Amino acid sequence: MERNKKDKLKIGIYELTGCAGDALLILDCEKELIDIFKAADIESFLMAKSDNRDGELDVALVEGSVSTEKEKKEILDIRKRAKVVVAIGICACFGGIQAAFLNKKDWEKNFKKVYGDIKMKHTKPVQSKPIDTYIKVDYYLPGCPIDKEQFLSTFNRILRGNPPELYRFPVCVECKWNENDCLLNKDIPCLGPITRAGCGSICINHNLPCVGCWGPVEEANLTSEFQLLQEKGFKYDFIKKKMASFSGTGVADFLGKLKGENK
Amino acid sequence: MKKISVDHLARVEGSGGISATIDGNVVTDVKFSIYEGPRLVEMLTLGKTPEEDVNIVPRICAICSISHKYAALRAMENALSVKVPAKASLLRELMHLGEMIESHSLHVYYLALPDYVGFPNAIAMASKFYLEVKIALEMKEFGNHVMKKTGGRYIHGENPVIGGFGKYPSREELIWIKSRAIQFMPFVLKTVSLFCELDYPDCPEENTLYVCCNPHKNKYGLAGNEIILSTGETINKDDYKSLTNEFVVSHSYAKHSRYKGKPYSVGALARVNNLGSRLRGEAGKMYKKYFNSRWKKNPFFNNAAQALEILYSFERIPKIVDGLLNLSDPSIIRYTEKEGKGTGIVEAPRGLLIHSYEISDGLVSYTDIITPTAQNAEDIERYCHIAAQKLLDKGEEVKIRERMELVVRAYDPCISCSAHMAEIKKAPLENWRTKLEEIKKKGMPIFVGVGKRNRSDDGAGIELALELRKNGVNDVWLESEIRKENTPWKTGTHRPLIFLDAVDFREKPGKVTLIPLHYIFSNIALSHKLLPFIPDQINYMQIRNSFVLGIQPESVELGPKISGPVRQALAKVLKQIIN
Repeated sequence: MERNKKDKLKIGIYELTGCAGDALLILDCEKELIDIFKAADIESFLMAKSDNRDGELDVALVEGSVSTEKEKKEILDIRKRAKVVVAIGICACFGGIQAAFLNKKDWEKNFKKVYGDIKMKHTKPVQSKPIDTYIKVDYYLPGCPIDKEQFLSTFNRILRGNPPELYRFPVCVECKWNENDCLLNKDIPCLGPITRAGCGSICINHNLPCVGCWGPVEEANLTSEFQLLQEKGFKYDFIKKKMASFSGTGVADFLGKLKGENK
Repeated sequence: MKKISVDHLARVEGSGGISATIDGNVVTDVKFSIYEGPRLVEMLTLGKTPEEDVNIVPRICAICSISHKYAALRAMENALSVKVPAKASLLRELMHLGEMIESHSLHVYYLALPDYVGFPNAIAMASKFYLEVKIALEMKEFGNHVMKKTGGRYIHGENPVIGGFGKYPSREELIWIKSRAIQFMPFVLKTVSLFCELDYPDCPEENTLYVCCNPHKNKYGLAGNEIILSTGETINKDDYKSLTNEFVVSHSYAKHSRYKGKPYSVGALARVNNLGSRLRGEAGKMYKKYFNSRWKKNPFFNNAAQALEILYSFERIPKIVDGLLNLSDPSIIRYTEKEGKGTGIVEAPRGLLIHSYEISDGLVSYTDIITPTAQNAEDIERYCHIAAQKLLDKGEEVKIRERMELVVRAYDPCISCSAHMAEIKKAPLENWRTKLEEIKKKGMPIFVGVGKRNRSDDGAGIELALELRKNGVNDVWLESEIRKENTPWKTGTHRPLIFLDAVDFREKPGKVTLIPLHYIFSNIALSHKLLPFIPDQINYMQIRNSFVLGIQPESVELGPKISGPVRQALAKVLKQIIN
């Protein structure tokens, strides 16, 4: 049923710092894309269109982490304009790979190594953080990149005013559905037990260990995974780096406590 | 003085802008700037295992994620002496072609075509070109499908690993891919005609240097171990720095890659210009039909070149599938090497992509990634400058904004890739004499001469250092004398350090500048060049106490001769230092 243009939800899709993979994945919904544009008023989507407006929004989908002062302002502005804000992708949800320098000191050290003490004219860089560091986020849609089915179902539910329903269990559950052999049993360092499901256990389906790119699942037992990997003979630093690779801020508390150091 | 700018470039990947500054009837400056935040990806890879590196680096860019993976794998396998089986190589080519189809069809139909038929976006364009938009979507979806079946996922698939693949696609899947590719041919041929026959604007048109990978056996292709230039020169992949970083320390000011001081272009148009005559089959016929001299100088033809490459990819896929079907699935090649150095180059959809690594004790100890958009940036600015000036001359100032956006888009820039290409500010051009005296007050500086003597003015820094020595100045170093264990910082921790170098700061030849070293750090390509100089434990205050004395070169062509203005500048500087 064709609704009136007036009735359509106003939606904005925004990209902060990241690989633009989540926005690209939305463009990759080839069959559904025309319907997506029909079902809602896409007010802003820089990657897809040039007539973008920055007005009031019903829903803002935000990809990428906040890593400059300009983006800080941008995300505050988006929050002001949007009734609902959805963080899409690992960078918006947990900071992504660029948030892997667990503490500010490490980040500053590395930033200086790469960029020196330059004062950027257009915008000042800050340590990369997920968007909920600065604003209230209504829903999270994790993934690296997000999953097409989960995106479409989330989008659909939001269009109808319902909250999205995401998986609240780890990759291991999907792995069992797919009847894979457990790689941890073969002493391969797999992060499946602590990583949020939704990818369809794609890496393990290919006989490869989970790298944790969807970020930690709710109530993940990080201690147990850490101990398990240590028992299998992996080194402390190796495990720590591996856990922080994709979701620095998601595991920062845990890893910070490990050494008794402050965040 | 006024400024025309496009603050948020639309229909490009990532966040960037372009601006032109106009003073009276002269376009004085054009800047292509990047707003994406810093991600320090190269630093992230340090200390990780080679496998983890290969997981992380594709996240630089979603559109080119396969190319990043492919380049990283090739580099790692070179570094670790892993020879992949024939089937793995073929499957990698297949996944790469999937990305080429996906990326090119996204760009030509969704991002570029709306400009030429007058719509704000592809969805609006569907009202008039419904069938084209719909089938283009299917073609893109096919590219995605190929990537999914080979890489494991549309974006950031983890199936390709060092030594092969986690899992190979089944016979059924491969045969499906082959037959589907054949089905697309009529539409693909139409695509080539459509984009080769579009009425591209003739402003800007100017020759440039084209650079791409040189595939084996004189074939057309998207990977190789050698770089080829439109002049016919070739460069071994391990010597890629002679292409990308012609200048040394200085070159952060010239934030972009230049070859022999000249900007160059990479991408589909570069490949078709350099390798087009090697195309066979339908792609070869189309090349003969449409290729003409305008392709050599007009960046808009990148759209046509991409269409031609879509055809190349569709023709190549059935052949690869046939090859794959004849081979059995090999297991992943394991390696034992813990030390090594290696470079891998491939053609990302938007051009030459270079990954280079060093592995020490089984962990990544050095990473250098040079992306196509970083290499194109200089030419993007140059073409925008030409376009803006020509339009201004014709009294068509209103068209400048739109035309610049069109140029940028034709290059299909990939901005998250080029995020480290932070905009470089004009450092304050203080009077260098006053500044030098100020520094001298803190203690007699240590001098380091930097540059290449066989590159005319680029040898100015070395020349100056040698002159200083002749005149009895102590503690003068040459770039080549710096070792990891022995750096000028260590010998004089409290004293200021001055690098002497030819610096392109876009001034008249012979102009001198003296700026803090940290201004130079804004460019990663450059900091890399500098990093080996800088010991890990260096105190940050020491970096802050370091400076660059730069002389604007006139030319950096091959040859030992230093130009007149630079020679005069050398004499002035020498006098000032000795006094």
